[in-house]
Amino acid sequence: MLTVENVSKTFSTPGGQVQALKDINLTVKTGEFVSIIGKSGSGKSTLLAILGALDTPSTGSIVVDDTQINKLSGGNQTTYRANKIGFVFQQYNLIPNLTALENVMLALEFGGYPASSRLDRASQLLTSVGLEDDQQRRRPTRLSGGQQQRVSIARALANQPAYILADEPTGNLDSATGKKIFDLLHDLSRSQKTTIIVVTHDLEIAGKTDRTFTLVDGKITTK
Amino acid sequence: MNVVTRGVKNAIRSPLKSGAIVLMFAISIALILSMLVARGSVLAKIDQVKSTAGTSITIRPAGVMGTQGGGDPLTTDQIASITKTANVSSITSSLTDQLGTTDTNLTSSLELGLFGARQERFSNPGSESTGTSSASGASETARPAPTPRISITGTTDANSVATTGGILPITSGTLIDGKSTSNVALVGATLATKNNLSVGSTFTAYGQTVTVTGIYKTDNTFQDSGVIMPLASLQTLTDQAGAVSSVSATVNSADNVATTVAALKTTLGDKADITSEAEKAATSVESLQGIASLTLAGVIAAAAAGALIILLSMILVVRERRREIGVIKAIGGSNGKVIGQFIVEGLTITVIGAIIGLGLGILVSGPMTTSLVSNSQTSTTATSQTQRGSNRPGGLSGGFGGGFANAQSQLNTNLTQVTASLTPQVFFAAVGITLLIALLGSAIPAWLTARIRPAEVLRTE
Repeated sequence: MLTVENVSKTFSTPGGQVQALKDINLTVKTGEFVSIIGKSGSGKSTLLAILGALDTPSTGSIVVDDTQINKLSGGNQTTYRANKIGFVFQQYNLIPNLTALENVMLALEFGGYPASSRLDRASQLLTSVGLEDDQQRRRPTRLSGGQQQRVSIARALANQPAYILADEPTGNLDSATGKKIFDLLHDLSRSQKTTIIVVTHDLEIAGKTDRTFTLVDGKITTK
Repeated sequence: MNVVTRGVKNAIRSPLKSGAIVLMFAISIALILSMLVARGSVLAKIDQVKSTAGTSITIRPAGVMGTQGGGDPLTTDQIASITKTANVSSITSSLTDQLGTTDTNLTSSLELGLFGARQERFSNPGSESTGTSSASGASETARPAPTPRISITGTTDANSVATTGGILPITSGTLIDGKSTSNVALVGATLATKNNLSVGSTFTAYGQTVTVTGIYKTDNTFQDSGVIMPLASLQTLTDQAGAVSSVSATVNSADNVATTVAALKTTLGDKADITSEAEKAATSVESLQGIASLTLAGVIAAAAAGALIILLSMILVVRERRREIGVIKAIGGSNGKVIGQFIVEGLTITVIGAIIGLGLGILVSGPMTTSLVSNSQTSTTATSQTQRGSNRPGGLSGGFGGGFANAQSQLNTNLTQVTASLTPQVFFAAVGITLLIALLGSAIPAWLTARIRPAEVLRTE
């Protein structure tokens, strides 16, 4: 279970202090598929970064399975990200000089997966997200947007994370491909009981998730 | 795929960019190696020159240079005090004289020339203006035509007369014993030819018969027209018992030359002119020391340039890949793995550049060193000649001017023989500097990667 209590985040900018998140409280149960919606600049990505231990809140706490992640050391936060979290980004963020297989194997390496079985595991994951053998050996630039996002999802799933945090996973895709990607995430949530938190501004997608949080100016207005 | 293979793969990720970085770095490595080689060669030569030239001291009677000047020769007591001076390990004494037509039956093999004629004007006033015999007066017609005198040197070591400072080249016969009292002589090849002399021949000098025991050939016109005898024999023949016109004293260590010169000056006072080859050697190697300093500056500059090339390149690479680094950290990559990857990438570029650079350096270091030393030698010689204010053409030396001119010649020969030598020490120094550059050039950018926070990168989504 993931619990966010009284989380606020303030950034210092040349123009002064900007409060991106204001006293956020929410709870996500294990295996739930939730969405966070809001306008651009409402604090969605900031909240996702804090949940994924990419950033720390100015105040408040985030407890994931009895661990207060915002109190973890840098090294432990890295381990937390490697083992507990899978990220899916709008821009896919694959490493450009690595093949699809190597991108997935990279996450396996960070998760401490044995080197001898990484290739098989990566291939299996890519096959499960619908990438064919020859596509698995291509670099990201030779894959379509949808295929790259599938690789990104396979990479996120590599270490069997308890949580997948997806930041606008369909934002760069056409509606048909976006729907396929969403269905893929939805199936994962159901088949592997993975908790999935999706940040989106697509209300149609949000409507298909178990719960939706709406962020307005750094505050959650609806749950 | 691990940190090392990712680092290596990243190094060749953009062949054109990596190639340009490698090439620039290789050039700086080649420069480092060339400068190290040049410095090593120059320092070795400086040491050699100092060690070979720095232990000899020349002592002449005050006011005397060869057969020119005026003053009293050194006495037996003075020679003894020189021998007893602390740190003097050995001495070579010599006495120089000139054989005129009334002293010997030998004919000089040198032409009188304008220079000789001018020297003759004091003994033959009538020939001052022309340099040849005149038929204008009966008294002058009776006087024999002036001829150059023949130089004769008595020495305790005939080899000390060699112009090269080494062994006197004997073309036939044997070397004379410098301690002998017999009337034996070595005759210069030109003089021997002129007078049909060979080993076993005799000639007269100072009214005595002298036997030729050897012929020498130095390719120095003046020397090859002279005669060398044992010191004692010449002293006896010239009725100058114990007289010496030049002493070359060898000091046991180059470090003791200055103190020995000071001691001799105290002992002999104003009765002798004392010069040490160390002083001349110092002048000779001045330009080499300049090159040594220049090459050291070159090594530092090239190393700094190399480090800067790697440093700036890697900083650019890090800036270029901020997002990628953020992603790696976001998916669980530790700072250690990211830093390791960038250090391997920097090292890969450095190693490839170093291999090419060391190869280039080996190719160019020889010609570069030769060029540097050759240019320096030209200026050294010019400076040296200007300082002396004399440049003696063949046959015009003021007598066998002691071993000093010979030693100077030896110094110049040594200096021009500097060759590029790539010793293992120099090679490993270059490799060490390269590794240091690689670590400095990679570590700072790698440290920058550690400061990149994944959240900052992802916020730009």
